[in-house]
Amino acid sequence: MIVGMAPEIVVQQAINGLVLGATYGLIAVGYTMVYGIIGMINFAHGEIYMVSAYLTAIFIATFQFFGLAYLPALLAAVLAATVLITALYGWFVERIAYRPLRQSTRLAPLITAIGVSLILQSYVRLSQGARSQGIPSLLQGSFTLNIGPHGGMIHITHVQFFIIVIAFLSMALLTFLMLKTPMGRACRATEQDLVMASLLGIPTDRAISTVFVIGAAMAAVAGVLVSLNYGSFDFHIGFITGIKAFTAAVLGGIGSLPGAMLGGLILGLAESFFSGFVNSDYKDVFAFSLLVLVLIFRPSGLLGQPQVAKV
Amino acid sequence: MRRLLLQPLLTATLILIATTPISGLVLQGYSFSFHWQSPLFLAAAAFVLHLGLILGRIWSRNQFRPVAALRLQKGAWATGPEWRRAMSLLLPAIGLALPFFLDKYGLTVAILALIYVLLALGLNIVVGLAGLLDMGFVAFYAVGAYGYALGHHYLGLGFWTALPMAALLAAGCGLLLGFPVLRMHGDYLAIVTLGFGEIIRLILNNWMDFTGGPNGVQVDFPTFMGLEFSRRAKEGGVPIHEFLGIAYSSNIRNIFIYLVLFLVVLLVLALVTRLKYMPLGRTWEALREDEIACRSLGINHVVVKLSAFAMGAMIGGVGGVFFAASQGFVNPTSFTFFESALVLAIVVLGGLGSIPGVVIAAIVLTILPELLRDFSGYRILVFGLAMVAMMIWRPQGLIRPQRRIFLTGRH
Amino acid sequence: MKKLMFHGMILLAWMVSASPLAVAGDAIPIGVAGPMTGAYAAFGEQLWRGAEQAAKDINAAGGVNGKKIELFKGDDACEPKQAVAVANQLVERHGIKVVIGHFCSSSTIPASEVYADAGVMQITPGSTNPMVTERNIPTLFRTCGRDNQQGSVGADFVVNKLKAKSVAIVHDKDTYGQGLADAMRDALHRLGRKEVLYEGLTRGEKDFNALVTKFKSVNADVVYFGGLHNEAGPLIHQMKDQGLKATLVSGDGIVSQDFVIAAGGPAYAEGVHMTFGRDPRKIKEGEEVVARMRKAGYEPEGYTLYSYATMQAIAAAITATNSIDGSTLARWLHAHDVPTVMGIKGWDAKGDLKVSDYVMYRWNGQGSYEEVPQP
Repeated sequence: MIVGMAPEIVVQQAINGLVLGATYGLIAVGYTMVYGIIGMINFAHGEIYMVSAYLTAIFIATFQFFGLAYLPALLAAVLAATVLITALYGWFVERIAYRPLRQSTRLAPLITAIGVSLILQSYVRLSQGARSQGIPSLLQGSFTLNIGPHGGMIHITHVQFFIIVIAFLSMALLTFLMLKTPMGRACRATEQDLVMASLLGIPTDRAISTVFVIGAAMAAVAGVLVSLNYGSFDFHIGFITGIKAFTAAVLGGIGSLPGAMLGGLILGLAESFFSGFVNSDYKDVFAFSLLVLVLIFRPSGLLGQPQVAKV
Repeated sequence: MRRLLLQPLLTATLILIATTPISGLVLQGYSFSFHWQSPLFLAAAAFVLHLGLILGRIWSRNQFRPVAALRLQKGAWATGPEWRRAMSLLLPAIGLALPFFLDKYGLTVAILALIYVLLALGLNIVVGLAGLLDMGFVAFYAVGAYGYALGHHYLGLGFWTALPMAALLAAGCGLLLGFPVLRMHGDYLAIVTLGFGEIIRLILNNWMDFTGGPNGVQVDFPTFMGLEFSRRAKEGGVPIHEFLGIAYSSNIRNIFIYLVLFLVVLLVLALVTRLKYMPLGRTWEALREDEIACRSLGINHVVVKLSAFAMGAMIGGVGGVFFAASQGFVNPTSFTFFESALVLAIVVLGGLGSIPGVVIAAIVLTILPELLRDFSGYRILVFGLAMVAMMIWRPQGLIRPQRRIFLTGRH
Repeated sequence: MKKLMFHGMILLAWMVSASPLAVAGDAIPIGVAGPMTGAYAAFGEQLWRGAEQAAKDINAAGGVNGKKIELFKGDDACEPKQAVAVANQLVERHGIKVVIGHFCSSSTIPASEVYADAGVMQITPGSTNPMVTERNIPTLFRTCGRDNQQGSVGADFVVNKLKAKSVAIVHDKDTYGQGLADAMRDALHRLGRKEVLYEGLTRGEKDFNALVTKFKSVNADVVYFGGLHNEAGPLIHQMKDQGLKATLVSGDGIVSQDFVIAAGGPAYAEGVHMTFGRDPRKIKEGEEVVARMRKAGYEPEGYTLYSYATMQAIAAAITATNSIDGSTLARWLHAHDVPTVMGIKGWDAKGDLKVSDYVMYRWNGQGSYEEVPQP
């Protein structure tokens, strides 16, 4: 089907897919890290992303009100503030909905997570109203490239370019944090064996909190970028994006950091190509079928380590 | 004393920082307005709550609680045969009498509650007994509802023919889902079932020519031995109020649906309770506890898992048929992931695997949001808070499932 | 266990005994149902504000035959299941005899069965799907147009005014959006044109870049969107970002200031066309009400005045018949024209407006919309 399409259309769809996939990947990091460390699906993670989208708009409005007009400074300040406050929300979620349930059945935290997402949604709706909100377009303009025999044009907006750059930068930073710092080492030790790590004097509770905070921070990065890109959001964007990001995390192999990014990119590309060249009605059906197919042949995802069952 | 206040103060400060942007700075288009009261209020509430929790902990530490003795006594009493027999007669009687005391709104809610009881009983088999985390249970519910609606639309099936056929169709879908996921565990299973639920909903929504897409399908109301429940019967039919010689009331139809549904619920309850103590039910639970041990003992995990999926799906399908019959209209918006999450919440809140617990949780979780309807804005918030509080307070659910012990040498 | 059973029983008993609210003898209970929460709460607010203002004005002028109007709010969140429950609640618990609502066609249709069964007259100010009145419920009316009328006006504009060669049609896969898209497609076919693309997008998503690139690949010069502003905003934003020159045309689902916000500012919304009834704020009869609502800090946009007019029609029917019986009121409305803030309104046998005039509007660079001058 792709054969016979103008090359600029194919390239443009690939760019669309990569941008979408990069945001999925950033959010998927939160799912995959939490799953890695305590083996639970943090269903409230999508709502954390939603909160960060609101924070972005609020901080842009506030900082502009106080006269911060220089664009790079404004963006940096907004990014920093949003990441900070969203991380605080992530910390609260862990503290309230997960820590008291550390000893209970596996399904109990799943239910509190669903409860927390309902609470976050209503909290935002009650404070900010139900109407969809938006942010003014701060970054306009795009790079255009001419390719193909007929001089077809492809567009990459500056924001889209930023999304890809920042997504990879933050993934690199995160990988460094996890592999090279004492904090990362503590997290990884807790991930491998919680009881043993705590016996060896690693503050496991703090490690788990750290993971939630990092996950929320990455979701906040995604929230800022996505809000800048699409310009609008409402109080229930967390759900669909959350499910897609979770799918990406599982596709890439839940628990694996590069897997989350890979899963995100594959999912983004798959959606983009399918809706671009086949039919956008069945885009999500295709995405989920792809997931099922991958899991049938690789039950622990693309980069996940197969679980060895010990008897 | 200082430490007592320090922690809550810290919490309040953090809450203040976190909530100031969202609840204090409210977006107005591209600018904002400042409401200083709400974050302060939230922070104060957090302070009081945290202080209360600490005080509560100190107080309960100083209390002497004869936990073990109390529990033993209670357990012995609760499972007493007389009590059991009395309840098993009393509750159905109350249930059967209930519709005659309810107005139409009450009946609608009661029917909805019973449908959720069915769904929860079905999911309880899959999640509670067999330990397979199914997050797309709504798919079977949708298959049941659409099975009836489309069967009526294309084949002219009536309620009574559609009921078993839709149930079988849903069971078939359960098998279909079961095969590919046999190898998957835990959360991989969760996401695949979730995906399956979404796929079914998306197909129902997109396949315009067959399902009517978002416009949905109109469903005929059920009949009883050829008698209809409408004000004026269609050609050749007799409305039941004329047959019985009573005044027409739209309630009759709902009472009828309620009664049939109630009998079905009783039947399923009996079935599920029996199954739990039959070899199949025991195998489900054994497989949940340790799959490897089961397989090494020669248990065929394929048959066991598939039977759990099919059984659960069938009950979910029956729930769907009743949903379609009571609404008179089905469309895909009724079968979103939120429904799956709600049913799962019912099963977990009720106590995984505990049948009475699940029944109570289903009734409470359907009625609670309706009672909160008058506080419309805060409805979902209170619902979410209740879910979190309940799980922290009783993570094992309302009723911890009790394993019946078979004593030998007593008759 | 026993304790829990006991609590359950109490809860049930409470449910049972929660008797219908006593209706005060000198009040007329009227329901206003719509999406008061959820993604489409903006429209619910429009319905409520309009009805509330009308009730306040009527009550201030002495009420209806000396009785005051009492309003009850019903929230369906645009979900069919909730619509049925809330309809039952309004009828049984609050004892309403007339209802204004619902908004989403997919809620109006199932809820109308409940109202019709209870003999309650229902007038929807905003459900434009043809199915709503095609089912011939004698007590159901609407004070807005029908999607097929909207589709004809849209198709005529696209073909004759914009001289479009290739039209892409997208919708949000919901009753309203898809109904509108279908109406547009049928009208195009009647004009002898065929659309180059007919697809759905997912409500609640924000990324439509793949679809936009697809518009480019089929060289669409007009994109017709059947849906609401939440999705229309990001759609036009991404069309402009990708440098697409096609014009976006839509229906009355984007008639809200929220569309400009969702699009990312007036610059993005500029040039988008939509069909909507002649702007009710510009009708002479309504000037005074509009001025009053603006003074109170609320811009009566979208369906606000439709809701106001609906309340006026109800009040007129009750005054004339001195009854609150649904079928009596309905018979009167079928036979009489009513003066409202939107001019004189009359209904045909199906309950549709006798005259409904859809007009093409265009969003300008200041974030408001103006009528496209007729040739």
